[in-house]
Amino acid sequence: MSAIRSKGALIPFQAASGGLMLLIVAAMAFLACFALAGALATTRIASTWTEGLAGAATVRIDANEDDRARRTSLVLDILRDTEGITDARALNERDVADLLTPWFGGIPDLGELPAPGIVAVTLDAENEPDPTVVQARLDGAGAGAIYDDHGRWRGKAAKAARAIGNLSWWALGLTALAIAASVFLVISIAMVAHKGTIEALRLAGAEDRFVANLYQKRFFWVGALGGLIGSGLALAAFVGLDALSSVRAALPMLDAPYYWPFAWLGIILTCALVALLAARLAVLATLRRRG
Amino acid sequence: MIQFENVGFRYKRGPEVLQSVDLEIPAGSFQFITGESGAGKSSLLRLLYLDAMPSSGRISLFGRDVTTLTRDEIAWFRRRIGVVFQDFRLLDHLSAAENVALPLTVAGAREAAYRDNVTEMLQWVGLGDKMEVRPPELSGGEKQRVAIARAVVASPDIILADEPTGSVDPAMAERIMALFVEMNRLGKTVLFASHDLAMIEQYKLPITTLRGGTVASGMGAAA
Ligand SMILES: Nc1ncnc2c1ncn2[C@@H]1O[C@H](COP(=O)(O)OP(=O)(O)O)[C@@H](O)[C@H]1O
Ligand SMILES: [Mg+2]
Repeated sequence: MSAIRSKGALIPFQAASGGLMLLIVAAMAFLACFALAGALATTRIASTWTEGLAGAATVRIDANEDDRARRTSLVLDILRDTEGITDARALNERDVADLLTPWFGGIPDLGELPAPGIVAVTLDAENEPDPTVVQARLDGAGAGAIYDDHGRWRGKAAKAARAIGNLSWWALGLTALAIAASVFLVISIAMVAHKGTIEALRLAGAEDRFVANLYQKRFFWVGALGGLIGSGLALAAFVGLDALSSVRAALPMLDAPYYWPFAWLGIILTCALVALLAARLAVLATLRRRG
Repeated sequence: MIQFENVGFRYKRGPEVLQSVDLEIPAGSFQFITGESGAGKSSLLRLLYLDAMPSSGRISLFGRDVTTLTRDEIAWFRRRIGVVFQDFRLLDHLSAAENVALPLTVAGAREAAYRDNVTEMLQWVGLGDKMEVRPPELSGGEKQRVAIARAVVASPDIILADEPTGSVDPAMAERIMALFVEMNRLGKTVLFASHDLAMIEQYKLPITTLRGGTVASGMGAAA
């Protein structure tokens, strides 16, 4: 006798519903990759902004080139004499470009921008000076300079980045939920078509979990394959699209390239497990409802 | 082994199709159930394979009140009960051999362990050459015999047969009857429902007659 069929074929799955499911999971995995990248990148940008800017301040001197040198030395004198400031140093154009690099995601070309006189101030982290007091001292000397400890900007920017990051995590959760919901829907429909088969299995002595296993095994593989396709396309887009280079640059995995395969595998596995769990719950719920 | 105490049964909110049925079927016995079409034979068997629960009264099976069984326990009990359904209920997408193997597959047995058993069973019902054929290509009588092989393959304690000779000619009916008698000799409890009184009377075995949902004569008949 040739082989008596294995368990997988006990239920006559329709190729069409499998293909549809594959498409849905692949699309969701694709979106999930961008949500994940968004979440990781913004979380990191937020911390870069807050950490990178803490303990430092800048003073901007708006003046024409003739007057700039005099005013700069005046400002330096005042700053070095202020409690809570450990160092003050006038920046040359090269320094200004470097300073702006993290904000632009590359070395900015300052040729077209009027570079103001900028003084970099290092603060005593334990004892940062009150910015209004510093500003008042500068104004008192008529330096025509603006003191900025980035506090307001720092807080706002970090808050915005965190909000976007949180939204990305929510988006990630929603894509998982959408996969689960579609599996639920597809299974509910399939189980109507398979009603006679399922009843025959039950009457032959199959427990609910036996029936659930038949479905969840199949949906695990559909989830995994869909995840592989969707995340593969997303990864190709990340690596291939120049427009995404700044997102790429902000991803923490860049520091540790060996993360990439794990992240990729993680997405595929998550798709597979979400599909499996949703399938199991859908089958068990449907069987219980039928009684 | 099987005990009915004043059992009543109705489908949803329909009329009672079984009323005050009392039955006691000892282990290892052979019992015919007869009665006209619509008398309630299939409904009575359905209660026994736990596809429905009594609306009133009490059914005890293997020493348990059936209404107390969990879904898993119902599945496990069904493995001890082989059923030949009136409408066969074979799976059209599986071969005859796969259909016969179903009770073993769902119980978690490995193919290698039951292959010989399934082959032997199909040969026993005279279908050794039809193992790979799917039910849509089998005749009514052949389907019935596949259903019989499936009902007995897992060596259940109880065999329920609903009109198992309904689709076959008299010669094949005799062969099928012989199969059930043989199963009974091997110690199985057999309940055999048939409206064909003339056929079953030849066998000199206990007969219970249902009429309009009550036991009219035989075991448990009102005195
Ligand atoms: N699934 C069902 N739903 C509602 N009524 C049913 C169902 N099956 C059978 N009946 C009714 O139950 C009664 C007994 O039927 P059944 O048990 O099939 O009798 P038998 O097998 O002796 O012919 C009949 O009146 C029939 O119409
Ligand atoms: Mg009937």
